[in-house]
Amino acid sequence: MRKLLSYLKPYRGRIALATLLMAVSAICDLLLPTLMADVLDKGVYGAAEADTFGYILKTAGWMLGLSLLSLGSVAGGYWVVYHVVAGYTWNLRSALFRRIHTMTLTEVGSIGASNLVTRTTHDVGTLNEVISMLCGGILIIPLMFLGGVVLCMRKDIYLSLVIICVVPLLLGAGILLSKRIEHLWEIADGQCDKQNDLVRERLRGIRVIRAFDRERHAHAKITDATRVMADNLIRANVSMEIIDPAAAFVLNTAALLIVYLGGVRMERGSGLTAGDVFAIIQYINIILGAIVSVSYDIVMLPHVRVAVKRLSQITESTALEEDRPAQGLSFSGAIDLEHIGFTYPGSSLPALSDVDVHIKPGEWVSVIGGTGSGKTTLTELLLAFRAPTEGKLRFDGQDAAKLSPKDVRANVSCSLQKSMLYAGTVAENLRMGKPDATDEELWAALELARIADFVREKPEGLNFRLEQAGSNVSGGQKQRLAIARAVLKEAPIYIFDDSFSALDFLTEAEVRRALGEKLAGRTRIIITQRVVSAMHSDRIFVLSDGALAGAGTHEELLESCSIYREIYLSQTGGGAA
Amino acid sequence: MSSSERNGKAKEKRRIFDETGKRLMREIRPLGGWVLLSAVLCLVLIGCAVAIPELMGALINRLYEWTEARTPGLGRSLLPGLGLLLGVYALQAGVTYGKYYMLQNAVSRYFCAGFRIRLSEKLRRLSVSYMDKTPAGDVIDRMMDDVSDMASSVSGVVDILISGFLQLFVIALILIITDWRMAIPVILLFPLSVFLSAKMATLGEEHWDKHFDLGGKLTSLAEEAFTNYPATKAFNREEELQKKYDELSERHQRKGILGYFLSSIVQPVIAFVNALAYIAVIVVGGWLILHRGVPIGTVVTIILFARQFSSPLERIAFGLGYIQHVKASAKRVFTILDLPEEEDPSGIVQPPTRGRVELRHVDFSYDPKKPLIRDLNMDVQPGQKVAIVGPTGAGKTTIVNLLMRFYDIQAGRILIDGRDVSELSRAENRKLFAMVLQDTWLFKGTVAENVAYGSPEATREEIVRACDSAYCDHFIRRLPHGYDTVISEDSTAVSSGQKQLLTIARALLANRPLLILDEATSNVDTRTELLIQKAMDRLMGGRTCFIIAHRLSTIVDADLILVIRDGQIVEQGTHRSLLEQKGFYYELFQSQYAI
Repeated sequence: MRKLLSYLKPYRGRIALATLLMAVSAICDLLLPTLMADVLDKGVYGAAEADTFGYILKTAGWMLGLSLLSLGSVAGGYWVVYHVVAGYTWNLRSALFRRIHTMTLTEVGSIGASNLVTRTTHDVGTLNEVISMLCGGILIIPLMFLGGVVLCMRKDIYLSLVIICVVPLLLGAGILLSKRIEHLWEIADGQCDKQNDLVRERLRGIRVIRAFDRERHAHAKITDATRVMADNLIRANVSMEIIDPAAAFVLNTAALLIVYLGGVRMERGSGLTAGDVFAIIQYINIILGAIVSVSYDIVMLPHVRVAVKRLSQITESTALEEDRPAQGLSFSGAIDLEHIGFTYPGSSLPALSDVDVHIKPGEWVSVIGGTGSGKTTLTELLLAFRAPTEGKLRFDGQDAAKLSPKDVRANVSCSLQKSMLYAGTVAENLRMGKPDATDEELWAALELARIADFVREKPEGLNFRLEQAGSNVSGGQKQRLAIARAVLKEAPIYIFDDSFSALDFLTEAEVRRALGEKLAGRTRIIITQRVVSAMHSDRIFVLSDGALAGAGTHEELLESCSIYREIYLSQTGGGAA
Repeated sequence: MSSSERNGKAKEKRRIFDETGKRLMREIRPLGGWVLLSAVLCLVLIGCAVAIPELMGALINRLYEWTEARTPGLGRSLLPGLGLLLGVYALQAGVTYGKYYMLQNAVSRYFCAGFRIRLSEKLRRLSVSYMDKTPAGDVIDRMMDDVSDMASSVSGVVDILISGFLQLFVIALILIITDWRMAIPVILLFPLSVFLSAKMATLGEEHWDKHFDLGGKLTSLAEEAFTNYPATKAFNREEELQKKYDELSERHQRKGILGYFLSSIVQPVIAFVNALAYIAVIVVGGWLILHRGVPIGTVVTIILFARQFSSPLERIAFGLGYIQHVKASAKRVFTILDLPEEEDPSGIVQPPTRGRVELRHVDFSYDPKKPLIRDLNMDVQPGQKVAIVGPTGAGKTTIVNLLMRFYDIQAGRILIDGRDVSELSRAENRKLFAMVLQDTWLFKGTVAENVAYGSPEATREEIVRACDSAYCDHFIRRLPHGYDTVISEDSTAVSSGQKQLLTIARALLANRPLLILDEATSNVDTRTELLIQKAMDRLMGGRTCFIIAHRLSTIVDADLILVIRDGQIVEQGTHRSLLEQKGFYYELFQSQYAI
């Protein structure tokens, strides 16, 4: 919370200015009825005087001046407020974005990508709204209240008691009520989410639903959810809508009380005039207007609490990556995994245990195993996204835990499981690994990944734009683009994590052959579940349930490792001799 | 959603009663009773609105009169008027709330829920091809947000047409009757304020649109950054991405400033113009008091009425502006409701059961410009296995789409046991097939419900038996609530391999004569993969199968192999005959063993 507020610090002066401007406007608004009452009083008493109309005109002039001042200052106030809010919002977003990229993969993974998106967009938006609300609306209410009371006291101290009692009473009741409303909205929002999920589920499962002829059932489920949602929305909306008439009634009653007490006080000869009473009634109306206009915003408060909690989790996160300055090291490609074990935080079973593998520079190794075998964890260790919880990982004999993650990543080029392309041109995506690559180099990389023809067919060529997540190319094309990107980057170590799964055997074989030529002398690690992807490498490591189940060449493993043999038989049917 | 159901921004005025507008009115008609009732309540409220300034004016007038006459007993003499006014205030509060309660109920329960149910009903009749083309988020937005926005048209009818215009008319009339000279500035100046506010809102709209547009881009960028998190770091691109994000974020915010500003000062501008009207009333009123002997109470009453005059005007301006927004939403909802529905023969035909499948001269394409399947012929005997092989993305699933009639063939015939499937209803057609797709689909529900999805009448024993045959029983029993454990698509309680096993169990339980199977077992550990293969083999036993093949063993044994490349069936035959052809299949097959 404090951290979130600290981003407001540079704006303290401007917030004060905005508040001041808003206050000026509020005071002007309150002075108007005072002047009006004055005119009316004079209209009665001064009927005999010759220049009474002149006085009326003069006061009207004052009123016009006050109105203009009020409009000008409120406009100025808002102008400042929105500049402050905009600046705050983009500073906060920028800080969050930076922070997220310094957090550990474990932390990012546990929050989840879509959740992070919600936090940086929706939650920040909520804070943005609440701050403009505070600076623009809510802060004026106490001001108006105070101003109204002061003005009223000047007229009559007893009558001001009515305002002093009623307004806090009203606010108190509002806050109590908001608790209830908050709860009802939580339920209603939950029902809306449920409905959303049901529709999404149904659209996603359309083939299965139709295959089993269960459309009627799916429709019935949504119908039920819709009804429940309607009930809850009604309850929430209706509970909120009570604020407005109730507040109006209370304040109107207060106005009646003022008229009565005013009459009594006038009779006692307190010097109170009819115009004063009229003015006080108008103060109440102004305060009422202000309260009603923010009563809807009260519903925002529970969302604010959630937003603050979720954003603080990011700004105050301690799960940060080691921040060692990169030293510009270059590795030879020797990798030693010395009895490495890795257990995810909160997990009782290790994802990797006692993996002892030593890779020589320039060696071509494969790691084979299914999901849950620990393959992905291994990639993440090699990219310094995680540190082993047991044993040591060494590059050229140096403990990876003592190296900057940036140095490690500069020496490892990879093509990851989900391809991970960015919205932008093919050239931009490829140049991620080598910003100064020439077009010829790009074409060579595309050629190697057997995707050059596809790009060449596009009228834009290298400038062909990929949509977000590469949604305008197929899975196989994405994988090949990611392979091209990986080989373009110069590094002693290359990792291909599940990079061929969407390629047909023919294309894969071609790509594999080309990689062998292009990356000769570099360390190559192929992580796969396909036996054909692994069988030709120098050495194959078989991972099963996080442990090494075998190591050796294809022929050796067929002899010695039963798991490997099983995988081989199931995938090839033993057809390959 | 919550906010859009109760609020919105004013928008530009355009023609209200175009086609969409008229249709929207027709949709509101069934709510006529409610609208009428709320109209009656509106009349009560208008009565209150008229009575309050009148009564309050009289009271204030009493105070002024007393100032001159100074007769005793002022306090007491005010009491009857005060009591009456209190009653009117109570009535006003009660009716305001009552009207809202009633409308809210009617609108949410009948109008919104009604539309949502109609949309859901419509989804049943839309083609799979529509669903494939339309992102789920789009449908959800229409079903939720757009319907909510439409709902404000109901309150719009009440607020604008009935309460707004009527109240405006009545108050204007009273103002003129009370004193036409003071009424003129009020009646002239208030519409000006409404006009100004509408203009400003329109001005703000352009900035809003750009702001929202940039906001969408910012969200996409964040989405990309966080899903590609490892890649960004692996390539050390954090700074570059940060710069891109910051720039976009700044532009997004800068665009927002003017939009927010304009919409925020609408209220103060209205207040300013209103103040002008008050000043005019005071000047004119003051002159009238001095020179025409008009009682001061009349001026007070006019001022109080003037206050009542502004609220219906604001409502009308807001409502008229908002109507464009409402209509845009309504249009999106109507578009879905008007989509062509899938035609389906309804005649009940005893479905064939042996399982012979023939395709004769079948043509099909998703895009008329790109012919995909041309003159496809095959004859599959009962119990035969058809393997479909080819590179990913080559269109292997097209055959599934056609057999299941998710898409319709454009020429030729599909015959099952000699009967043209176009004589069957889609549901009957689909009842012949069980389907296990790579993309497992589990809905939120218990394990048992998920397995029994294709056969809702299955008993628990049958479910358990199917799960046992599909090698699910052992892991289901280890779940916290066994067969009653609630799972869903993104549930982590079951692994992706186990999800696949569950869908096999589902197909086994459904026990259909024909089978469509996608063998791909990605992201599955070795042991589970073996189980899946065993379960699939069990499922295939005795059935006519169409298999998207990923295993050599399947391909080698298949009775018919379809080789697909770029969406076209380039070769078909048995493993042996295809190898002899030395064509694409031969190349594909050989490539697995090449270095």
